[in-house]
Amino acid sequence: MTFEQSELQRLVDEIIELLQRYGNDPGALEAVFSELRAMYQRIPIYSGIIASLLPKVVQPVELGQLKEGSEITVVLKDNRAIAGKVSHIAPEEIKLVGCRQFERPKLCEELVLPASEVREMRLLTRGILDKERPSEIRK
Amino acid sequence: MLELELKRGDVVRLEGMLSLQIKDGKVSISGGLHEKGYKLVIPRAKSLPLEAETDAVIEYTLGESGSVERLAERTISREWDELIAEILREKPRLVMVIGNVDVGKSFFTTYVANTLLKHGIRAAALDGDVGQSDIGPPSTMGIGIFERPVGLMHEVPTRAAYFVGSMSPSNHMLEFIVGMKKLVELGLKEVDMVIVNTPGMISHGPGRALQLYVMELLNPDLIVALQRGRELEHLLMAAPPVKIRRIPVYEKVRSRSIAERTALRWMALARYFEGSSRIVLDLRKVKLGRCYYRTGDPIDPKTLGVRAPIVYAEKLPEGLLVVAESALDDEAMQELGAKFGQVKMIIKGSEQNVLVGLMDSANVFLGIGIIDEIDYARERMAVITPIRNGDKIAMVQFGSMKVKPTGEEIGTIKPGTF
Repeated sequence: MTFEQSELQRLVDEIIELLQRYGNDPGALEAVFSELRAMYQRIPIYSGIIASLLPKVVQPVELGQLKEGSEITVVLKDNRAIAGKVSHIAPEEIKLVGCRQFERPKLCEELVLPASEVREMRLLTRGILDKERPSEIRK
Repeated sequence: MLELELKRGDVVRLEGMLSLQIKDGKVSISGGLHEKGYKLVIPRAKSLPLEAETDAVIEYTLGESGSVERLAERTISREWDELIAEILREKPRLVMVIGNVDVGKSFFTTYVANTLLKHGIRAAALDGDVGQSDIGPPSTMGIGIFERPVGLMHEVPTRAAYFVGSMSPSNHMLEFIVGMKKLVELGLKEVDMVIVNTPGMISHGPGRALQLYVMELLNPDLIVALQRGRELEHLLMAAPPVKIRRIPVYEKVRSRSIAERTALRWMALARYFEGSSRIVLDLRKVKLGRCYYRTGDPIDPKTLGVRAPIVYAEKLPEGLLVVAESALDDEAMQELGAKFGQVKMIIKGSEQNVLVGLMDSANVFLGIGIIDEIDYARERMAVITPIRNGDKIAMVQFGSMKVKPTGEEIGTIKPGTF
């Protein structure tokens, strides 16, 4: 295969990897996206640097390593995800401030939506490559 | 077989699929004069004007979507004739033709070269449309010399070609630019004039970069801008200080859909690989190019100390390259990563159907091939190619496409995989 002619490919690989790794943690994904946007605005031609720094935005941490003021995300045993700033650490608990809580999506077989309740609606298209750029003449 | 009688000055539009033969008289096709006995096949999704230079009779057969239409007037505009008169007068050595897709760049190039030939000027055409290449197989750019008049550019024999490795210059800018320069240099040594037919990438970053850097590198004597409106003006404003001629596009020029372009490419590939055979190359004698594989120091996989189905390994400046029967688990990857840094993993078998360029010992392009298999342990590569004399192959350059010998494009490979 011909060589990579820019580091952009590495950045795309890294984004895909992080999206997969933190799919259950919206707080972590928000931080990754926010840092990606900030770095890309400042150094858009250095996609290799962005790719190398992006995985460092979210790192596993133990209770004993936490410091007050640190920003963390937590996934609880009931799958709730919480993001916030550490304000106090005790052996049995962590106190967070400025918290955001993300509920796990629930599966529902069937749902009736009153049209009056809909604010926005978006159409999803799967397999868009084959639909938009067919690789053969379809008769 | 149908027959069409033409009076001197009559003009018809021929739409492929169509095959024709001149039964009597003289006709002009793409600026070239043809007489009784001349045969031409116009493929599907291509069309050409034919002008009767004398009373003439043509015989033709229509294939799928083929047609013949009488036109009220010539399709060649006054501007074209004036431009050719100027070219004949000033004799530029290098002419660059730019324009969007489907503006008739190949037809224009053929028309100019055929007309020059009538005046005793030998011209070569460099076909830079790697996906729809008329000179050289798809995925290459080729140069051909007009030794006799032709109807379509693909009738011009390929004098030399350069393997780009993809059906578009996108992500292959370096190969594209190097190929253009090498082929232009070769052409200028052998003919009076080289006409460079550039791809239709004309806008956005990659398109602007491609056109402007090619202009800067080749430094043509004349740029011909084929445009419908003002779609090339952004390039012409930034072009180096060379003579520029703006030529309007013939309004009825046929545009091709993405699907038609793909189909044409597949047909061209299928034709190219027709009658191919499988040849086995000894990788101890044949060099590999445009890849990481076999550019480092080989390591015995048993010495890596991991329990993984690794069949080949080598140490690269970037880290470690391993070829495995199946994907390594996270534990093995972490273990190897701790020892060697970055680990590049190739899954055995993923090389099948990769398009490659085949070169001789003087680095001259011989043809393209499709990898059938690499035996990493025995250092052998099996390639499907129409090249008869496999002993001539001294280098294999990896491309970015996966194709079947039937012409079907299976997909592309991520740059840097091998």
